[in-house]
Amino acid sequence: MIPMTKNDVSGVIKFLEDNKARGDHVSLNDVMRLAEVMAGDFKGFLHSYAPSMRQEFEDIANEIARMKQEVVQLRASDMKHNRIPEAGRELDAIVDATEEATQTIMAAAEEIMAADTSDATAYQTMVGDKMIEIFEACAFQDITGQRISKVVKTLSYIDERVTHFVERLRIMENDEGDVEETADERRQRELILHGPQHAGEGVSQDEIDAMLGGSDQADIDKLFD
Amino acid sequence: MALDLSMPVLVVDDYKTMIRIIRNLLKQLGFSDIDDAADGTEALEKMKQRKYGLVISDWNMEPMTGYELLKQVRSDSGLCKTPFIMVTAESKTENVIAAKKAGVNNYIVKPFNAQTLKGKIDAVFND
Repeated sequence: MIPMTKNDVSGVIKFLEDNKARGDHVSLNDVMRLAEVMAGDFKGFLHSYAPSMRQEFEDIANEIARMKQEVVQLRASDMKHNRIPEAGRELDAIVDATEEATQTIMAAAEEIMAADTSDATAYQTMVGDKMIEIFEACAFQDITGQRISKVVKTLSYIDERVTHFVERLRIMENDEGDVEETADERRQRELILHGPQHAGEGVSQDEIDAMLGGSDQADIDKLFD
Repeated sequence: MALDLSMPVLVVDDYKTMIRIIRNLLKQLGFSDIDDAADGTEALEKMKQRKYGLVISDWNMEPMTGYELLKQVRSDSGLCKTPFIMVTAESKTENVIAAKKAGVNNYIVKPFNAQTLKGKIDAVFND
């Protein structure tokens, strides 16, 4: 076998020298670039004594080029700088709109509850006016519905691209490593914070009443049978 | 334990809107002395300064949750007898069981209505 010389891997050496000051700041793009350089160098060297391997290296080079294209198609920068912040602004606007509408409706209801009923005509007029205020406040539902649609579209866009990316890179579920639990996740687990459940999930008020009405551990254990 | 409508009630929730809703419902039920706190820590401080006849608390709050508040209240000899109702969107079985084990007097799942609130308060004081 012909010994490999410094010239045969000059591209790899140059790449490593150019990037030796990078420390831990290595991106996926850097790894793909290194693989590309290595494939290029080794293709030339191995072809000189094993011509049949030329196709193998061309396939590797093509695969790397395809992966780079997939990364470009992911449009991660667009997601990070445009779509996700915009979705966050929409959600903030939804919270603000619902809060404002709730305050308006509650204020109107409180005024009706506290109103002087001794003058029936004045009371009727005031109640009518407050009802109109409540109807007007309910218009928030239309606007928030449109904002939610925009957020759902953003989530679908991200889901579509990430799913496509995972499929094209042939990342299997088995490849997913263990992820360390964050402080927030630990708090949620330890303090049993699940948040609201969807309709049909969780336990109903009647079921809760039955559970609390039980007198001993056996009643609780029955829930897990 | 008899229900005394003049007793001070502490409502604990991090959403001002929910405090306002519960406060109005309690007023409709005849309660007049209603105080509030935004989380378990603030509630515990208030409970050490004043004796409340009833605590109505949300579960999911920061920094101290209603669940932690309940456990702190039950472990404090001066507060442990205070009736405690959890009003929360946490509706998983394990939440209800944990609350029961910690000594909750009743548990209301959000969203709820005035009738449910009245029924649970009556149940606590008629026990």
